Formats: sequence, C-alpha cells, structure tokens
Amino acid sequence: MERRKLKDICLTCISLIALVVLWVIVSNSKPDFFPTPQATWERFLKMAETPISKTTIIGHILISLKRVLTALVLAVASGIGIGLIMGWSKKMNAVLGPILTALRPIPPIAWIPLVILWFGVGEFSKVLLVFIGAFFPVVLNTATGVSMVDPMYLNVGRVYNANTFQMLCHVVMPAALPAIMAGVKIALSSGWMVVVAAEMIASKSGLGFLITRGNESYDVALVLCGMILIGLVGAILSAVFTLMERWLCPWMEKKNG
Amino acid sequence: MKESEKIVSSVQIEEKKRAKEKIQLFLISAASVIVFLGIWEAAVRLSWVNSQFVCSPSEAFMAFVDKLTQPNPDGAVLGVHIWESLKLALIGYVAAAVIGVPLGLLLGYYHTFDKLVNPIFEIIRPIPPIAWIPLSVIWLGIGTTAKCFIIFLAAFVPCVINSYTGVKLTNSVLIDVAKTCGASRWKIFITVCTPSAMPLAFTGIRVALGNAWSTLVAAEMLSATAGLGYMIQQGRALGRSDIIIVGMLTIGVIGAVLTAVLNKLENRVIRWRAK
Amino acid sequence: MSVDGKEKRVKLTLKNISKSFYARKEIFEAVNNISIDVYENEFLVILGPGQCGKSVLLNIISGLEKPTAGEVKFPSNDEKKVGFVFQKTAVFPWKTVMQNVEFSQELKGVNKARRREQAQYLIELVGLKGFENSYPRQLSGGMKQRVGIARAYCSDPDILLMDEPFGALDAQTRYQMEEEVLRIWEKEKRTVIFVTNNIEEAVYLGDRIILLSECPASVKEIYTLEALQRPRDYVDTEFLRMRETIEKNMDLAL
Repeated sequence: MERRKLKDICLTCISLIALVVLWVIVSNSKPDFFPTPQATWERFLKMAETPISKTTIIGHILISLKRVLTALVLAVASGIGIGLIMGWSKKMNAVLGPILTALRPIPPIAWIPLVILWFGVGEFSKVLLVFIGAFFPVVLNTATGVSMVDPMYLNVGRVYNANTFQMLCHVVMPAALPAIMAGVKIALSSGWMVVVAAEMIASKSGLGFLITRGNESYDVALVLCGMILIGLVGAILSAVFTLMERWLCPWMEKKNG
Repeated sequence: MKESEKIVSSVQIEEKKRAKEKIQLFLISAASVIVFLGIWEAAVRLSWVNSQFVCSPSEAFMAFVDKLTQPNPDGAVLGVHIWESLKLALIGYVAAAVIGVPLGLLLGYYHTFDKLVNPIFEIIRPIPPIAWIPLSVIWLGIGTTAKCFIIFLAAFVPCVINSYTGVKLTNSVLIDVAKTCGASRWKIFITVCTPSAMPLAFTGIRVALGNAWSTLVAAEMLSATAGLGYMIQQGRALGRSDIIIVGMLTIGVIGAVLTAVLNKLENRVIRWRAK
Repeated sequence: MSVDGKEKRVKLTLKNISKSFYARKEIFEAVNNISIDVYENEFLVILGPGQCGKSVLLNIISGLEKPTAGEVKFPSNDEKKVGFVFQKTAVFPWKTVMQNVEFSQELKGVNKARRREQAQYLIELVGLKGFENSYPRQLSGGMKQRVGIARAYCSDPDILLMDEPFGALDAQTRYQMEEEVLRIWEKEKRTVIFVTNNIEEAVYLGDRIILLSECPASVKEIYTLEALQRPRDYVDTEFLRMRETIEKNMDLAL
C-alpha cells in the first residue's frame, strides 16, 4: 500500500514536471506566442504592484466575484421559488413550462447583444447576464427534483395529515435538495463562465477584462495571468460550494471524486 | 352484477376526468404562450417600450423570412450563417467526443495513466473555454482552426470527466464475473467497463454539446466574419433588435434540435437501459 | 380493555371494498369486494401472493386511496388515527432518528419538550437508545425499520398498518424483527394490520390470518390462530400443520 502511494506521488510529480518542461521549451522557441514561466511570474508580480486600468488585481477579482455572487443569489432565490411552484403545481407548470422551454436552449452568451442594447454596458447588464446563465439550471433542477420526489415520502406526510406548507418544508424541499444543489452547482460554473465572457466583450474591469486588455496590448503574459486567475478563483468557488453543500445536507453520503 | 357495473362506470368517470385534465393543461399552455406573445406585440405596437430596443414578434417573424434571402445588413443570408456555425461546431465537437470519450475511459481504467494525466487535467479544467479565445487567436489566427480549437476544448472536458467517472463507478462484481470467466484485462475493459460507463459518457457528450454550442457563439461574437454569433453581434452594432432576436431564436432552435438528435442516438446506443 | 373476553369490540369495518383503475386502456381490478371486521387490539395478518392488491387495500384503509366501491367504517369514533409502517424504508433520510420519530407530533404542533419525551420513550422501546441523533444512512436495514415502527407508534394511532415492513430484510434480521414487533405490541397494545406474502411470518405473528386470492384480491379464507400459544415456535407441530394448510390453499404468484 505504502509503495503504491509513493508511486502515485512520483507519477503526479513526473506529469507536473513534464508540463513545466514542455512550457519552457515551447515558450523559449516562440516567446511571442507563449511567455516563459519566468516572464509570466514577473508579469504576475508586476500586476500585483501596479494597477491595471486604475484597479488593483485584488480589485478586479472582487469586482468579478461581486457580479457573480449578486446574480447567483438572485438566481438561486427566484429559481428555487419558481421551480418549486412548477414542480408542485401541474397548472403552473403548464403556464410557465412552454416559455421556459423556449428560452432555455438559448446560451446565456447569446443574450449579450440584446442585453447591451437594452441596458448599455453598465454593472446591471453584467449582473443580468449572469442571472440568465444561472437561473435556468436552478429552475429546471428544482422543478425536476420536486416532481420526482418518491411518492412513498409524500404518502408518509399524507398519512399524518401534513398541510401543504408542512409537506413542502418537511418532505418535498429536503427530498429535492440534492437535485437543487446540483442545479446550483451548474449555475455557479455557468455564471462564472458568463461573467468572464461579458467582461471580455464589454467591460473596463474584472478578470475577463484582464485577458482582453492583455490581448489588445500584445501582452501575452497578462493573458496567461488572467486565465490562471480565472481558473484559480473558479476552482476556489467550486470548493467553497462543495463545503457549503456538505453543511446544508449533512444526511447525504459523501461522494467520492 | 349491478355492483360490478357501478364499479366500471365509476372507473370510467375517473378516467374521463383525467383525460379532461390533460386537455385543460394543454389549453393552459397554449393560452400562456398566446398571452405572452400578445403582450409582447402590444407592448411594441402601443409603444409601452421603445421599439428601438425590441421588435414585436410579428416583426421578428418578418425579419426571419427576410433573412432567408436577404444578405443585408450583416453580410450573409441566414442559411450561410447557420452553415458557418454548424460546420465549426460539429468539427470541434465531433473531434472532442471521438478523442475525449476513449481517453476518459482509459484514464478511468488504467491507474498509471490516470495519475500521469489527471494533474494536468485538473489544472486546465477550471478555466472556462471562453478564456482561451485570445490565446488561441494569438496561436492560430482568427480563422477556422482557432475557433475549432476552442470548441474542441469546451466539449473535450465534460466528455473526458464523465467517461472517466463512468468507468470508476463500474460495479466491481461485474468485473469479478468477467475475471472468473478468464477474461483478459483488455477484454474486461471492452466488454464490461466500457458498456457500463456508457450512460454517464452520454451525459458528458450531452453537456459537451451545450458547452460547444454556447462557446461557439462567444467565439463568433469576438472574432468572426460570419456565423450566428457574428450575426447577433452585428445586429447590436447596427441597433437592429429584430436581427438579434432572429439570431438568438435560431441559435436556441438549432441547439434544441442537436440535443434531440443526440437523445435519439443515445436511446439507440444504450438500448438495454430501463426508462 | 380485555382482549381475552369472548365479546370482541369491532375497531374497523371494511364493507364491500373494491378498487379498480385504468392501466394501459384496460380496466384493472386490484381488489374485489372485500369485507372484513377488525377487532380491537388484535394482530391481524393479511396474507396474499406477490402482486395481489394487498398494499392497495392498506392504502384504502389509511385513506391514501379511495375505494372504487364500498366503505371503510370506524364504529368507535369518527376520527381515524392510523400509523403506517411502509414497505421498504420510508424513513426520511434527511431527518435524524429523533426527528423521524417525532415527525407526526411536530406536524400537529405539539411542543418540543413533550414530543421529545414521547419520542425518546419510543426510541428506547424499539431498542435504538444512543442513536437518537444518527441519520438513517448510518443505520442498518433492520434499524431503519425500527425507526419506522417507532414513528408509526409516535402518532399515537388506534390502528397500526404495516405494509410488508420486513420484506427487504435478510432472513436472520427478519426473524429478529418479527420477535421485536411482537414484544413491542405486547407492551403497547394496538390494533395491528400486518400485510405480508410470507406464510411463516403470518403464522408466527397473527391472531387471525386473512388469506387473499391472487389478483383481483378477494378473501379466500380466514384462519383463527388463537389455539397457537404465544410465544410461538417455528418448528412446533401445530405451527407446521397450520403452515402447511395455508400453503396448500394459497395461490401461486407469478
């Protein structure tokens, strides 16, 4: 067992070293196309000291986070509410279902031109776009989760004369919670993608803007720094979410992988 | 005898009620769509909203008919835009599925391979494909190759991850059954692990399709001279909401059609799965 | 409250119950004209093959489903109070053992201290002391069904309905749970209607056994087992004879 673990660690190291070596070779042969690790690190340090477009690097991160989280909170709150109504009442599902089904296949990014046409390139537009990206997965997962609650659990509630409110609180909501959380997780990654796209297409701040700025000023190292930061923050967001899920659903078995 | 007749009639009444409810729900749906479109149309016609910002459904329909033959103002007829987008999306997407699924399956099965490739994968995974656009444009120019590469990246990741997980979740009893029958390691991989990973692999392929399609739109909005993403971007530049809306709906409809085709394919491939 | 007395009080009457529904455009008869009297504090077993309408019958008694014809009557008082132990384990995975057991009382709005006290008593009665704050995933199949029994008792029911509660358990646990359910019933006497497809289980538990035919379910035979002394022995000659009689009379399930 011990030897196997050692082997695993070695393999991981080999792969990471190979990645770095590859990076060094590629970047040294074509430095205009791909900055060296050293150049990237230096660019990163410089970025930490000198503000880009009057905002520090922390500022850019916080702006992106603020946009995502604001939109996410709104999308989760309204999405769970509407999804619950749709999953619970066949009539409401009939009312809202067709319109949602028609709008759902439109990728959130395709909303960018219309939203910019309506509301300009301000903060509201970006939050709205992320909202659109996050809303649909939450609504759909909630509605599916609620309509798929095992009838056996509903029967338990009915045998003990639960009223509608008690049924929702004690049975339907907790039973649908894993599905809802899966929806929120999709919403989170989709929202993060949309905010990056929106910032790349029309913005003067945020992590997506860093990439565009790097691109426009032929600063490939900045592009790479931006990408790394986007990946890092995205990974942290998803890790925080996993912790939150565990805290919210203590009854669920721990998932592996 | 009378009793049994009463039972039959009461069951029939119940069934009729259920059928009536179904029709009622359908009517509600239809009414909801009509009301939605009606309010939209009225809002534009009666100038409740600025008609520069949004066209009415009837105008959108006219614009759609118009776009079928009229290349102005964005340079190409709708068919050309669709063809451009579809071509890119399918090349990148099919390549991702063809490479990604087998790779994921192998990663899940061969431990050494897994440990070797996984770290690199974990580093690349959290970066949204859209963030690759500038870099790939620098590398590959603004042509078809760059866009195909981005779409490939977007579709590749879910294909690999889901196939990988599918193999990892193979019931170990089934593997033992194959082992006791004397199957080789490769044979077990082909006859046991691969089929049992198929449902999850298809989930990945489906997610990949959505990713690919939406990344394509982004790529076309950032750098292109044709395609649906380019069309809606031009619509914005020209302040033509009808073009944007036609473009958005086309994107949505094609996405939905592709998903439907994929679902058909999935049912064909995984026939043994219970509904 | 004498059970031994010859004049038994009727707790519940099923009168000409029938249930049919549409399935694949055909009328499907699940239950056909069943009439039963259920006496106070008796342990009544409803025995029937595979997929006959046993569960449907229980759902009708509990009010979960409406009969197509006939009626369920509670002569003693109009308000029905039933507890239900479900097939498999309908224990809520998102509630702890304690929260599961006190569920019905919480719905009624009983104050926390009182319902906790009652739930605690029942948790100890079913032998789950020390597991109050565990989630069901941490429990074995038998323990989960104990939670189900405690939850059913906690609603303070007049009638306890048990729908093949031990069907999913392994044989060893099943014997153990049969003993347990009798122990609990002796201590907290209630009218129990217990549905099963297992003849041995039926003979071990029941004061009376109602044997149902295959679909559509109707009463085929009623056996009274008062002659068999409790605690019963699985290999006792009387027990085996009874078992054989019923076995010969029972329809085969597909």
